[in-house]
Amino acid sequence: MQLDRRRFLQVSALGVAAAIVYPACEGSARRAAEVDKPHLLDMLGADRVRAIGKRYVASTPNENTADALRAAISKSRNQSRVPLMPRSIDDQVREDFINGNTVLVDGWVLSVTEARQAALFALSA
Amino acid sequence: MHTDARSLDNGTTLQGDLCIVGAGAAGITIARELANTPLKVLLLEGGGFEFDPKMQELYRGENVGLPYFPLQAAALHYFGGTTNHWAGWCSTYEPIDFEKRDWVPYSGWPIRREDLGPYYARAQSILDLGPYKYDPADWKNGDDERVPMLGDSKAVYTKMWQFSPPTRFGTRFRDEIVNAPNIHLYTNANVVEVIANDALTSVQSVRIRGFDGKEIRARARRFVLACHSIQNARLLLASNHQAREGLANENDLVGRFFMEHLEMPAGELVLADPAKTSTKIYALDFAKRTPRGELAISPAAAREHRVLNGTCSVEPGNLGDEVKSTFQFLDTTLMNAQRAWENGGRKGPPPLASAEQAPAPRAEGLPRFYHLVSRQEQSPNPDSRITLSTEKDALGMPRAKLNWQMTELDKRSMRTFYQVLGAEMGRTGTGRIQIHEWLLSDDKSWPSFISGGWHHMGTVRMASDPRQGVVDANCRVHSLNNLYIGGCAVYPTAGAVNPTLTLVAISLRLAEHLKAAN
Repeated sequence: MQLDRRRFLQVSALGVAAAIVYPACEGSARRAAEVDKPHLLDMLGADRVRAIGKRYVASTPNENTADALRAAISKSRNQSRVPLMPRSIDDQVREDFINGNTVLVDGWVLSVTEARQAALFALSA
Repeated sequence: MHTDARSLDNGTTLQGDLCIVGAGAAGITIARELANTPLKVLLLEGGGFEFDPKMQELYRGENVGLPYFPLQAAALHYFGGTTNHWAGWCSTYEPIDFEKRDWVPYSGWPIRREDLGPYYARAQSILDLGPYKYDPADWKNGDDERVPMLGDSKAVYTKMWQFSPPTRFGTRFRDEIVNAPNIHLYTNANVVEVIANDALTSVQSVRIRGFDGKEIRARARRFVLACHSIQNARLLLASNHQAREGLANENDLVGRFFMEHLEMPAGELVLADPAKTSTKIYALDFAKRTPRGELAISPAAAREHRVLNGTCSVEPGNLGDEVKSTFQFLDTTLMNAQRAWENGGRKGPPPLASAEQAPAPRAEGLPRFYHLVSRQEQSPNPDSRITLSTEKDALGMPRAKLNWQMTELDKRSMRTFYQVLGAEMGRTGTGRIQIHEWLLSDDKSWPSFISGGWHHMGTVRMASDPRQGVVDANCRVHSLNNLYIGGCAVYPTAGAVNPTLTLVAISLRLAEHLKAAN
């Protein structure tokens, strides 16, 4: 099959789009799983993380639903300095600490992202 | 040579070139430096060679401020002074401790850190410490796991301590002092008044009084008050027959700026992965006295956040443990047990070590949780002060009245340190920090377990300007040309670390000045 110049450009564009979208979809699924399993669980255990989550929800009324929390985490993610590069949740947490996006919950100095993760965990329990 | 002052006749006058009042770490250090010189040194010690409850009772005082340890148990009143029960913790002050910090009112020494460098080096051997090295890299001891946490941090670093055996000046240097031909040690010689000339420009003598009412005078060309900080201030304030407000107190500074180190539990650390983060260098091994580190706020972070200098120890435990402050942990019973253990030939484990190394049982495996116990300088505060009580002691001297007070900067600084530490732990993935609830409340209130470390400092502070301090950079009283102050009383700021190493260094420096002045 011969490709004229226009057809070549169309196919190429589709290929590039697929290359971007497919990993992004895969990344989204992986990321959703990451969001739902805060690393704080390894450090503090489920009970403490749940307690932290409840305290966060209580002190942040505009983030008291799972949707609101996911949206807030996602919004924060999109404020990355390299927006096209998917970040792991660990990167996002680390960036929070670097940028001073921290919050005190039950005395714990936490990244805002992981505090929201704890809240999600509390709401899902 | 040694004389028990109780054997002297009433009305005796002692005569020397230099009279040192107080034979603790400062007085003994200065006397040793002047041993075997042409100077005739009178060394006056209020107590004897052993602990005597009757003598110790002279240190009882009133406390009208924040909760504080009973004053009669906070410093020891016999030859060797408080080194007779100190724990031996030693570290150096940092350059920032000597600087004028515009966010710390009344901060700034008239000397710099480097001025003390050579004296610190010499103080190391006096206190039976290791080499003059305080970099964590110098104390790996061949163990690659003895490395600091947060090694790349610009906000937090690891401050090292060395441990004196601890050197008990009273026993360690007794023979040397007693055998020095030019040092005349008088025990049971309690000075109750400093007497100046009529013009109040120099000191002529000190008045010594016994329980039997017998009085002795000591005259000299120069005098050093080398008592502990409360007693130095008390003695100047009580010398009020010639000057109503006390000697050297023209500017109402004597007794003010009493400072302590805030030593209290304030946070928790949970490690992200105990297998990846070694805490060995922070371990307290009281029996072996292995140098150890504490996490400290860096000078850069202290400047950025405009806070005081502070550190915290890292002690394995469990979340929810009851962690005691220094005043809670080291009660009179434990101190008496430690003293009995030492006097009894040090048989078995030392009571202090047993108490320090008896944390609550922990979970299996490497510890994940650690208690963080603060050690922070107190902001110089003129309202934190020693005055005279209306009650008098058995020698007729007004007792000391302590009004220990804090400022909002003290509490904000401690909280900020843990916030900075928390951010660094998170940034590096090392772990997370929990700040205790009491530290998150308002900046004015303090919990009942507020604690110092029996580190009395600052009551006769050092400054170039007589309106800002009682003594000059050479520890000489501005208004009395032959009176010097030894010990921690001259510290304008407290630094974050235990004060004894610096005390000995400053005493060496003062002794050198006195040598040159004669």
